[in-house]
Amino acid sequence: MKGNTIVIDPVTRIEGHSKITLHLNDDGRVEDARFHVTQFRGFEKLAEGRPFYEMPSLMARICGICPVSHLIASAKACDSLLAVKIPPTADKLRRIFGLAQVTQSHALSLFHLSSPDLLLGMDADPAKSNIFGVAEKNPALALDGIRLRQFGQKIIEQLGGKRIHPAWIVPGGVSEPLTEANRDAILWAIPDALAIAERTLEWFKSTMEGFREEISTFGNFPTMFMGIVKKDNGLTFYDGKLRIVDASGHVVADDLDPTQYFDYIGEKVEPWSYLKSSYYKPKGFPDGIYRVGPLARLNVADRCGTPRADQELAEFHELQRTAVLSSFHYHHARLIEILYCIERLEQLLNDPEILSKHVRAVARPNALEGVGAAEAPRGTLFHHYKIDEQGLIRWVNLIIATGQNNLAMNRSVLQVAKHFVQGKRLNLGMLNRVEAVIRCYDPCLSCSTHASGQMDLQIQLVSPSGEILDEVVRS
Amino acid sequence: MARVLVVAYGNPLRCDDGAARRAAEMLEGKFLPDEVEIVSLHQLGPELAESASQAQCVIFIDAAAGDGQPGQVQVTRMSDGSGEPADPRPFCHALAPASIVGLAIRLYGAHLQAFSVTITGQNFDHGESLSPAVEAALPTLIEHIDELIQECLSKARKS
Repeated sequence: MKGNTIVIDPVTRIEGHSKITLHLNDDGRVEDARFHVTQFRGFEKLAEGRPFYEMPSLMARICGICPVSHLIASAKACDSLLAVKIPPTADKLRRIFGLAQVTQSHALSLFHLSSPDLLLGMDADPAKSNIFGVAEKNPALALDGIRLRQFGQKIIEQLGGKRIHPAWIVPGGVSEPLTEANRDAILWAIPDALAIAERTLEWFKSTMEGFREEISTFGNFPTMFMGIVKKDNGLTFYDGKLRIVDASGHVVADDLDPTQYFDYIGEKVEPWSYLKSSYYKPKGFPDGIYRVGPLARLNVADRCGTPRADQELAEFHELQRTAVLSSFHYHHARLIEILYCIERLEQLLNDPEILSKHVRAVARPNALEGVGAAEAPRGTLFHHYKIDEQGLIRWVNLIIATGQNNLAMNRSVLQVAKHFVQGKRLNLGMLNRVEAVIRCYDPCLSCSTHASGQMDLQIQLVSPSGEILDEVVRS
Repeated sequence: MARVLVVAYGNPLRCDDGAARRAAEMLEGKFLPDEVEIVSLHQLGPELAESASQAQCVIFIDAAAGDGQPGQVQVTRMSDGSGEPADPRPFCHALAPASIVGLAIRLYGAHLQAFSVTITGQNFDHGESLSPAVEAALPTLIEHIDELIQECLSKARKS
């Protein structure tokens, strides 16, 4: 503590560099909180001048956790530049790739990053709040986490040739068809993955009673929610229409064309962070606050379209008569999505056309501007490119899920800090909860600012005069 | 599962950080696949613990940014199979070799020997080429790894 400011720096068990400042009023109560993203990369500028067909591979380098999501959104933007309709099998294979990506990324978030909080409690010693602590207390859970993530990664490797930065998705489709051996290998692994998802969901639901205080204070406030849904308002990760619901669950906007995102999504730059804040333009800034990602997707979707996930979604919607508001439920939503992904993978792999050799449409550029949108694990992802007559990139805009959750993450940190921070000193339970609420969103700061680095957290406690009262750094 | 697992990791787009990956390429095809498996990775994840648990010996190869002379090769025995290596680091997204071995022992009950082989790098800037000192030391690195593999295989055959 220095003056009247608390600093948490760096934030741990998230992807990227960040710090948090908590501003106190004259009475020593938390008045404001800011989640600062302190890294910068600028992929949008780096891509200028490159041939458009390099974009999927270049954009996949933004992130080692969700390269597939960037590949998909980028390839869809390139499909748009080519003005082609990709072969039906390529469409299905891209969906399989995306579902595997969501499964492994959600497994990483839940089992490896957040399960220490859920299993060991929010007051646990940070030195033990890690995968070793989980392995000690519940080795079966730790093993399940490893196996489920392996399941997703293995599919990515089987289709794309490698687990990180595969380049299999290309403009016009995919580069290679699925082999029968790989199809059978993935199908063989599905029952085990499904069983893991089922028992983890049951375990998670059994722990929720112990987190009533967190559920009521972890980002539990009204916002809108946005996600891509199918025509029948079902859950999807690959394509569809954008739907926005408000906190009461009523539809604010429907049938929005994702390629026209710039008509309704604005971005604001704050001087204290490299992470831009997105907002819904018709409501302005900051009233246009909305959330994306698992919680939002399950709030905007009427159904999943697979049997077990639909049962769980119905139960999820019963959590609240309005939209499900608490960001603590991102974890729950993530598990339901894992269940959906595995069920959907099985459906797609059993499609009789899935082994077709026709997986790529070839064309020259037929448009000078293209937008690709998809649902990444953390939320809706937009890639928007403009090219010149030679096919060279002239302008890029990327809108990443974490930026769209930025306003909500800041407000969540404030809510947690107001509830848990007492006095001018930082204690363990308070620090853990401030970190844990950010982890609910599973932010990917490398994606959203397009930066490299490790997972760090810094929290500062700041006085009304700007003096730093206390500071904690974890790395 | 092969008796010896060689794990080479690093970022080949950050010059000398990719030295281990280059060594992995040089080692490919030198050994029988059912005796030695070589994996080349950007970073270590917990999933590797399962593969490590199935091997009798794991050799981690990495570029070091320490105080040594560029190109200096150092071999460290991390575990002789009797217990966990010291000081496993908490998990973020990437794990240290000791953490992989620790997880293999705790979660899978593995009994394995583990070694860390490092080569001191000089330049970790953006780029795909190795610095001259590291490039020149690659044969020495391969020699050390080869010796370790032979030692591990010899023990494995006797057991």
